[in-house]
Amino acid sequence: MTSPLLEVRRLCKSYDEGRIEALRGIDLSIAAGEYLAISGPSGSGKSTLLQLLGGLDTPTSGEVLFQNAALGATIDLDTYRARQVGFIFQSFYLLPTLRAIENVQVPMLAVNKDTRNRAQRAEALLRELGLEDRLNQYPNQLSAGERQRVAIARALANHPSILLADEPTGNLDSINSARIMEILTGIQKDRGMTLIVITHENEIANAAPRHIRIRDGRIES
Amino acid sequence: MAISAFVALVGFSRAFEHEWLRMYESAGTDIAVVEKSFLNTSLDESVGAKLRSLPVVAQAKPMIFNLMDLTPEVNALVFGWQADSYELDSLTLTSGRRFHDGQPEILLGDILAGNLNKKVGETLEIQGATFTVAGIYHGGTALEAGAVIMPLDQLQQLSSLQGKVAAFHVRLRPAPAGEAQEEYVKRAQAEIEAALPGLHAVPAAERAANNQLVVLAHAVAWGTSSIALIVGILGIVNTMAMSVFERTREIGILRALGWKRWSIMLLIQTEAAVLGLAGGLLGIGAGWGALRLLSTLPQTASIVSASVSSLHLLEALGIAILSGLVAGAIPAWRGAHLSPVEALRHD
Repeated sequence: MTSPLLEVRRLCKSYDEGRIEALRGIDLSIAAGEYLAISGPSGSGKSTLLQLLGGLDTPTSGEVLFQNAALGATIDLDTYRARQVGFIFQSFYLLPTLRAIENVQVPMLAVNKDTRNRAQRAEALLRELGLEDRLNQYPNQLSAGERQRVAIARALANHPSILLADEPTGNLDSINSARIMEILTGIQKDRGMTLIVITHENEIANAAPRHIRIRDGRIES
Repeated sequence: MAISAFVALVGFSRAFEHEWLRMYESAGTDIAVVEKSFLNTSLDESVGAKLRSLPVVAQAKPMIFNLMDLTPEVNALVFGWQADSYELDSLTLTSGRRFHDGQPEILLGDILAGNLNKKVGETLEIQGATFTVAGIYHGGTALEAGAVIMPLDQLQQLSSLQGKVAAFHVRLRPAPAGEAQEEYVKRAQAEIEAALPGLHAVPAAERAANNQLVVLAHAVAWGTSSIALIVGILGIVNTMAMSVFERTREIGILRALGWKRWSIMLLIQTEAAVLGLAGGLLGIGAGWGALRLLSTLPQTASIVSASVSSLHLLEALGIAILSGLVAGAIPAWRGAHLSPVEALRHD
């Protein structure tokens, strides 16, 4: 049996000196190349779980293992985020003062990729996502769908093994939502990447090969 | 503002010191003998005879100086020298003659004479006493060109310092063959101090840096510049803190994308250094302009030279960049230590 890419053991996260318990002992195992959807009502703890899986935050107790090594203990979180994880957020989180091609290069600065390679890689990714005419546009000159495609290109910049998408279609109309999900699932299949999508849309959650529901900080099903 | 204050004030005080040194050099003064006290203005005039008896001393001339208001708009350095002082030899009389000891006569530097619109034979009232302009001279330094020189006894009387002098300016005999000038001056210093206990023999360069007016000018310049610098640093701290606060989410994005804390610090510190550099360049321009302006005003022309050394400008630029880095340190540290999750939530 192959070991999981990501493993979560008795994961707890509380805020406000323990008064708010966002996660209450989550156990989860995710294989390499798996596509997992996580759904649940607002405040259920799904975004907190994604933040811990992505090394954006540290658990109150329990641990997240990446290839059997504990995040934060054995693996440096900054390095993990830079090299292993690609984030896609609901609000895109592009840097407003940078052009599309520059935004895609930002994660590459964290791994010291040289200037020429950065520009070539960013351009290739944007072309792959159908944005060859939008390379030099600023985020405010792009449509919401285009911004999310730039964010996807940015997430792929450093060849991560995991794509973490937090409500990736939350700010998009139905046509763009479908297109973004098609792109994400296509990337997951073509590149064999692990894709974890947080969503409150049943249609998206149910389309995933594996779907877990979270309620009150626990896995419901 | 801080850098312009630094360039103008410290530049002024250094130029002032430099002018003193040039004045000593042009007169050929090797050593100044002064009291070992901060305000060394009350050296007894009778010391001169003992000083002149020392084998190393060629000439020893008493002197006194003061900064005085000549008119409500013009103030100038007033030197009290003896009529036969060797220091007068380095000045070129452009009109008139030297003064006589014991007479209410003065020599005016050509710049000061121009500012006061005075000619030989005319009179000038200084602190209630009337002096006749005996001659006008051209001095090699701005300090001399903007000064008044009067008989020592007249300035002593004017300053209520009868029998007292500020210093003896000493010209040494030529150094013996085989002895380096520097070593010779050191030996002469030691001999003078041994012969005159309680007095201090200082080389001209040290005297130029340590006389009361220069020390005061340095203290005021550095004090004012330091205060301006602190205010400037607080200004940059505020700017950088606001900048970091406004870009909290952007910092969160960078952290989420794997940027390390030191990279964020480097980013913010680079910005702070550039801010300091830009402020420094503007400050240098403004400070240099202020110095030029001061050098043309009648109130200050006699003691201000518009020349600023490139080392001083580099120093100002270095201080500006360093101030930026110091000011940016706390905002940079705070920015780098933001939690990515909290930073991403920031509106």
